[in-house]
Amino acid sequence: MGYVLDLGEVTKDSLHVVGGKNANLGEMLRKGIRVPPGFAVTTDCYLHFLEKTAIQAKLFSILDSIDPADLDVLDQASAQVREMIVKSPIPEDIAAAIKESYLRMSQSMGKENMPVAVRSSATAEDLPTASFAGQQDTYLWVRGAGDVLAAVRRCWASLFTARAISYRAQHHFPHEKVLISVGVQKMVNAKAAGVMFTLNPVNGDPSQVVIEGSWGLGETVVSGNVTPDHFRVDKIIKEITCRKISCKHVQCVPVPESKGVKEIAVAPERQSISCLEDCEIMELVKIARGIEDHYGYPQDIEWAIDQDLPFPENIFIVQNRPETVWSRKRSEPLLARKSCQELLLERASKITRLS
Amino acid sequence: MANGKRFPDPHEYIAGQIPPELEGWEEMYPPHFLFGDDRKDWEKRQFWYLDKIHAVYPMPPLDQIFQQAWQISLSQHTTRIFCIPPAQGVAHRIVGCYQYICAIEPPPEEIIKEKAELFQVRVHYPVEHYDELWEEWLSRLKKLGQELEEIKVPRELPKYMPAGEIFPNSFRGYGPSYELMEAFDRAVNCMYKGWQYHFNYLNLAYLYYLMFFDTAKKLFPGISDSAISMMVAGAEVSMFRPEEELCKLSRLAHANPRVGEILKKDGPAGQKIEALKGLEEGQRWLQELEALKNPWFYISCGSGWYNYEGSWINKLDIPFSYIKNYLERLDKGEKIERSFEEVSKTRERLVAEYSKLISSEEDRQTFQNAFNDCRVIYKYAEDHLFWVEHWFHTIWWEKMREIGAVIASTGAFKEADDIFMFNRLEVPTLIEDVVTTWALGEGVPLLNWSAKAEKRKKILQAAANWSPSPALGPAPEAVAEPFTVMLWGVVTDKVDEWLKGATVDPAQVDELKGFASSPGQVEGVARVIKTVEEISGLQAGEIMVCPCTNPSWAPALSRVKAAVTDIGGLTSHAAIVSREYGVPSVTGTGVATVVIKTGDIIKVNGDEGVVRIVQRK
Repeated sequence: MGYVLDLGEVTKDSLHVVGGKNANLGEMLRKGIRVPPGFAVTTDCYLHFLEKTAIQAKLFSILDSIDPADLDVLDQASAQVREMIVKSPIPEDIAAAIKESYLRMSQSMGKENMPVAVRSSATAEDLPTASFAGQQDTYLWVRGAGDVLAAVRRCWASLFTARAISYRAQHHFPHEKVLISVGVQKMVNAKAAGVMFTLNPVNGDPSQVVIEGSWGLGETVVSGNVTPDHFRVDKIIKEITCRKISCKHVQCVPVPESKGVKEIAVAPERQSISCLEDCEIMELVKIARGIEDHYGYPQDIEWAIDQDLPFPENIFIVQNRPETVWSRKRSEPLLARKSCQELLLERASKITRLS
Repeated sequence: MANGKRFPDPHEYIAGQIPPELEGWEEMYPPHFLFGDDRKDWEKRQFWYLDKIHAVYPMPPLDQIFQQAWQISLSQHTTRIFCIPPAQGVAHRIVGCYQYICAIEPPPEEIIKEKAELFQVRVHYPVEHYDELWEEWLSRLKKLGQELEEIKVPRELPKYMPAGEIFPNSFRGYGPSYELMEAFDRAVNCMYKGWQYHFNYLNLAYLYYLMFFDTAKKLFPGISDSAISMMVAGAEVSMFRPEEELCKLSRLAHANPRVGEILKKDGPAGQKIEALKGLEEGQRWLQELEALKNPWFYISCGSGWYNYEGSWINKLDIPFSYIKNYLERLDKGEKIERSFEEVSKTRERLVAEYSKLISSEEDRQTFQNAFNDCRVIYKYAEDHLFWVEHWFHTIWWEKMREIGAVIASTGAFKEADDIFMFNRLEVPTLIEDVVTTWALGEGVPLLNWSAKAEKRKKILQAAANWSPSPALGPAPEAVAEPFTVMLWGVVTDKVDEWLKGATVDPAQVDELKGFASSPGQVEGVARVIKTVEEISGLQAGEIMVCPCTNPSWAPALSRVKAAVTDIGGLTSHAAIVSREYGVPSVTGTGVATVVIKTGDIIKVNGDEGVVRIVQRK
């Protein structure tokens, strides 16, 4: 297996080399769902790094020697190990492979130093992912091959945070068995972004897709700094049943110099107009249904609409995860096991309150 | 009962708010339809609202017969036959020529309990045996319609009985005086009986619809009303047959070019028929037409509720203009038939897809059962409409005109249609006066019926220019009567909307609410079409604003940008056809044809059931 794999080549069988997150992105691409283009730095690459830099033996011996219950020692060991990784120069062949993939992607987008997101993608899928996956780092708006390499190395290091070490120790999971892959994906320069649910998170209605979005990057919606536009769409008859347009006074934009994002004011004339066109709403709904069908469970999805691309290629899915609150209640009957006859009597006895 | 929301008190309203031009309106209607002292306390306790489903316009006295008949029949099926537990009947009152109705307050608790017992025993049979019951029902109604049609009306009250009708030839023992009296009485009896049949399964059909509606809302709290009606509404219902038959006639004419040429010409139907008689294939086409006229041309050009609407059978220009339009579309290679199969498939797909979203197996089964039961009996709500309001009513209108013509021939009033200026309890008096005067001999005066008819026409005219309060009395806290909820859509929003309307001048209204019957939002130029004859003025891409639509309006719906109606719910003809053509529509706004003027720019929001006047002409 090579050091890097284009996301387009990734399947769910590549899980052990690209990790869960990347494998999932590959699957989505295969299903025709647009995720931002990118590549995976494989677990082989990580292993090769450990071998080539010869830090492997020392690294694991440090970890094996500590008592994870002793927090001071744990913190110290974690810092030491991560320092070892971050300070070790990346071997030439690996660096070249990653650089080449990054430059090729930049070029194909017609951009120099294209901003990317660099994210860890762990393979320890037998560990409860919900509590484990979040422990690795994500770096947004990374620009230039040098910074990408540094971010990849930092992702590798994030496998050894104090919490991660302690967690594995508690569950008797050998540190050397946990491998890590890294995903490098184009940042979507979003005109508008937000989240959507394949059911109504307020009442669990599975016939609806609920979309919330605002101008600019998705951070404003996620952080709650802006009341987003709200849309509810009936999945089956594909009708927008509710449309609430809010006053969206600020938006998030990338800051090229600082690798971060900042909030700026939205022009007054754009504040109260819908951040989504009807065709974009319907396209999002189509994608949401595709993702839900693929996983067989309700999903919570982050989306973004690129300002540089034409519709519908401009619509990207940035993240998705299973919806957990209503999904757990799903098989409980809502009709209280009543027969049609009982429902009819109930209706016939019903008094419609008007106050 | 009151929840603080209060409309004008009915007795005070009548005393002070009816325009003076309507003076004398009370005399037009039977006394038990009027507010008054005898029943004052009870009347003040109830909530009365303007019936914008059946009686949008001022009520000509004889046209009130259907209202009189349904008040009894609808109510008895609710209270005494199926015993819907807390529901009582729907009472009527007339105020300044407009009909107000009221879902009467629930009965005492012990009555509700009694009825609940009976209800459970009585309600299931019709659903379980619907197909055979429908067959029986239809043959019963057809028989009655035939009986009504066969009632013999004397052609005139002759100066002397013709020799052929007296001895020794064939004296029947009675004269045309009795024959005329009997004809009207029998026709009235047929109408009342027909309206007894009308509600045989309708209350249940609505109840099952509401049950399915509740079930769907429990499983999918955000499901739209129109999604539910799309699942339930059928396409292959009797109401659509006339349109189908026209398509067949058009195809036949298209296959015979010489027939087609004649039918594509401009000009009245009568002229075309004469021309067709001169051709052998034309005669064959006319035979086909004759063969399907009864029942399929017995379709009202309006709702069936008003005498002036007319039916295809007596306004052949209407179906002939559609045939012309269909032939032109056939020439262009277009398909003219609506694809009922596709509609049915769509409906099945929707039900299957919603059903698939239900995660509990038990719920899914109940949803399916609720749908199946509802679908079985809801067919009645769709099928009865053609047979009663259109076919049966058309026969009635024809019969009344026949009787009216005899009366007019005696000079009691000017024209046959003047009969509609007298209510069904007055007409026997009128007829008795006419035949008595005839029997008494020469030079005997009649009461001045003609002056009365003329005065009433003026009152109705004045009433048409008046907007009565949308409701009277205290707004109720609750409604239990299924028709009130389903057909008239009396819910909190509606009452609030009416309260707003009660205090606002209709000329100032710039937003109307109705049923969100077909999704989509568009803005465009309105064209108000009050009668089907005005359809030819409709330009492609305009928004049609009309009282209501039925298949006699269908060809127009394919050309418009959106449709707005005064009358009609989610499963009305306009709603069904609009959804098929993908045209946004808002139905049942009550007053669109009054508030909106041709040339206004309006915005139709078929997602939320709102029509807004953006710019007045």
